[in-house]
Amino acid sequence: MSVTDISPAADRVAAAQTVSSRIWRLAFASIEFRIGLVVFILLVLAAALYPEISGIDPTKLSVREKLIPPLFMGETWTWKHPLGTDQLGRDMLSRSLVGLRYSLLIGVATTVLMLLVGAIVGLLSGYYGGRVDMVLMRLTDAQLAIPMIILAITILGVSRPTIPSIILVLGLAGWPVYARVMRSTVMSESKKEYVRGAIVLGATNMRIMFLLILPLVLPPMAFVAVLDIARMMIFESVLGFIGLGVQPPTPTFGNIIADGRKYIMNAWWIATMPGAFLVVTLTSINLMGAALERARNKVYGGA
Amino acid sequence: METATQTDPVLRVEGLSVAAGERAVLSDISFDLHPREILAVIGESGSGKTVLARALASWLADPLRVTGGKILFRGKDLVKDPALARRLAGREIAYVGGNPAGALDPTMTVGAQLVEKLRAVRPDISSAEAKRKAIQLLDAVRIPAAAKRFEEYPFQYSGGMMQRAMIVDALISDPPLLIADNITQPLDVTVAAQILKLMRDLNHQFSTAVLFICSSLPVACDASDRVMVLNQGRVAEMQPPAALIRDPQSGYTRKLIAELPRLWDETTHAPAEERGAPVPVLSIRDVAKAYRIRRRGEAGLSVVQAVRNVSFDVYQGDNFGVVGESGCGKSSLMRLLTGLERPDHGEIVFDGADVGSAPASKLREMRRKFQLVLQDPYGSLPPQWPIGKILEEPLKIHGIGSAAERRERARSVMNEVGLPDGYYNHLTGGLSAGQRQRLNVARAMILEPRLLIMDETLSALDQTEQGKLLDLFERLQAQHGFTYIFISHDLTMVRRVCSRIAVMYLGEVVEVAPNERLFFDPGHPYSRALLSAAPTLEDRRYRPEDCLLEGEPPSPIDLPPGCAFASRCPHAFDRCRRENPVLVNRGGRALAACFLNEPASASLENAHA
Repeated sequence: MSVTDISPAADRVAAAQTVSSRIWRLAFASIEFRIGLVVFILLVLAAALYPEISGIDPTKLSVREKLIPPLFMGETWTWKHPLGTDQLGRDMLSRSLVGLRYSLLIGVATTVLMLLVGAIVGLLSGYYGGRVDMVLMRLTDAQLAIPMIILAITILGVSRPTIPSIILVLGLAGWPVYARVMRSTVMSESKKEYVRGAIVLGATNMRIMFLLILPLVLPPMAFVAVLDIARMMIFESVLGFIGLGVQPPTPTFGNIIADGRKYIMNAWWIATMPGAFLVVTLTSINLMGAALERARNKVYGGA
Repeated sequence: METATQTDPVLRVEGLSVAAGERAVLSDISFDLHPREILAVIGESGSGKTVLARALASWLADPLRVTGGKILFRGKDLVKDPALARRLAGREIAYVGGNPAGALDPTMTVGAQLVEKLRAVRPDISSAEAKRKAIQLLDAVRIPAAAKRFEEYPFQYSGGMMQRAMIVDALISDPPLLIADNITQPLDVTVAAQILKLMRDLNHQFSTAVLFICSSLPVACDASDRVMVLNQGRVAEMQPPAALIRDPQSGYTRKLIAELPRLWDETTHAPAEERGAPVPVLSIRDVAKAYRIRRRGEAGLSVVQAVRNVSFDVYQGDNFGVVGESGCGKSSLMRLLTGLERPDHGEIVFDGADVGSAPASKLREMRRKFQLVLQDPYGSLPPQWPIGKILEEPLKIHGIGSAAERRERARSVMNEVGLPDGYYNHLTGGLSAGQRQRLNVARAMILEPRLLIMDETLSALDQTEQGKLLDLFERLQAQHGFTYIFISHDLTMVRRVCSRIAVMYLGEVVEVAPNERLFFDPGHPYSRALLSAAPTLEDRRYRPEDCLLEGEPPSPIDLPPGCAFASRCPHAFDRCRRENPVLVNRGGRALAACFLNEPASASLENAHA
């Protein structure tokens, strides 16, 4: 019989490992993944530890030190405040890192919530079709019809804007898009032969949905979702900007930008720093995601 | 005429070589093709047949390119003059492919496409003239009511009619050379036989030279004046069909001929009928299934009777075959047997319980005992799953064994079906079609079922690979005592492996008979028609002219009363159009549903047999 092994040595090594370990190994071997990982870990560690270790309180006012520019800029820069201070003399580095903490928390949690709700709604409606599909999709339409900002104002205006409620509002506003995409891919997958094969083997609907179809269709969506982390961080900033986000004095990217806006002419760094952190964080996440995706495609070879 | 053709070939190919990058696909192909000649090109998949066809039609896409040799069309070299080649393609050199549904534009009427084609290559013809010619040709390829069909859209055509329309499309510009690439591949045997006959007639009528590319030796021999055998991009030999069969020159051809299963050869090993103990494993009683569909552009629903009044028993250790053409309800029956769908009425009793009415949880439990091996080797395996995981899945579903035991079982079935041990963590991407089907079989048998249903399992594989898998099935049966149901359209395969066979036509079982009886003494005219159309190199026991009227099966929507086969049956009489015959025992375990078998009309049947 014909054996299709072409490169025996390399292939035999690969064959000994499971598929997922091959993907991770391949991803880790790429330089982009390593850069992304190092930057991301540094940022997370800094956000988690720096404000405490340095002992600088991000909310401590010091009017004498107000509007100090970042390092090597202007005349008054100092090592004490590497990224300068804001109009009330609060340390920008410390504020940005604390803001990153909240933004990252809100961005990631919101996206995960969105993806989870969207994927499950889409999965159920695409797999079962018929009435289930109709009810769930009309629900999705209803949700899509309400603009996110109005929903946020309504809910957060009535209740107190705490972090969990912000996550909930943003997450609930975002899932319909995922549900739509998920539904259509699940619909086409569930008509395929291998699904029928699984039914004949005796698999239950739950098993087919969650163990067979979901792992196939989720990864491409998860890669799109990574981009949405950024969108959600920006939305959080928007909420912060109109005063419905995390309340001051707790610094978040949103209220830092809102404050810094007034001083943009003579202290550009206040409003810029959150953006710079956002760019670096997201770039590192995307670098890892892209490398992982490439590794996946290489291992699965288009299958 | 003989001398004329000797001196003036339409097409002369000299030392043609084609390569894909560094790899040679065709090397040193040379042949002549004269007017009115049909040259068949055969070879297994990957032998370069289609590449040859495309090289001649100037349709090579990257990375393929001609690396040497000449293609002389009426003395002009097409390799040297690509501009001329492009001008000739479609006008003088016509090409018909194997996928008519994909080649016709679904948004235009068939007639409009034909006229457009003709006017594109011959702008001097008026559209009225073009239309007249198109209708005349549609008539020539025996499309009924050609003038009316001219105005219809491709979706209103059946597969066979679309293929005829494509032949018209190719012939409408009066090309001296027609390249027919696998044109009968997607068609049923009875329809394919008609298309082949049509090709011969047209070939005489329009004095077209035909290059007929196909993968089945019997079809090639039936259709052509000379056969060219390709093996790995080289010409293995070229002879007239009779000489080729009698006296093959190359070892490769001898191997091809030897591998061909025979239908009526005494030496054909056919499984004995009585080897199974008469205990039914599966018994089907009066099963029927209809689908309600919405037809385009019409209000209301129409009913498609996919399966009607099907009854048969499958015995322990049997190899039961279900044969029939596409659309006869084989696949619907398979879905009923495996509990993927529920019958409208009737019983499917497996192991004492009714599959058709069992509650979902009971059905899942029963599925351990009967398994299905699907047709498509590519679509039937979950993508992105390693082989070991695929094999362990059925065990996990039914909660059998610990992780270590499951792994052990998976390795042992891989061993049994002949997959190398090292493939455990491999993905399915690198497997060949044959290996994929082995994996499918392994997955089905890991639960140690009693009954395995093979739904066209082998039809995607080539002859050699089919033989190997059949041997494997036999070995597994001897070891595990499986009972098989083979659902297939391939009579030669069924002849080789099945002990009893059911023949289906338009949702009904028209005959159930032991192997020998079906092939030597069929009890239903449709069985005879199928046998007459089967591609084989042997002397036919049944001549197509006697067995089948021109035409295609009626639509399963709104069936006429009476016998479904009456419209194509040469022996049909009044009663056949009024009432539908039921299966009647004709001795032994043979049953057939035909009035001709009743004692009163026995003499009539003898007269025809």
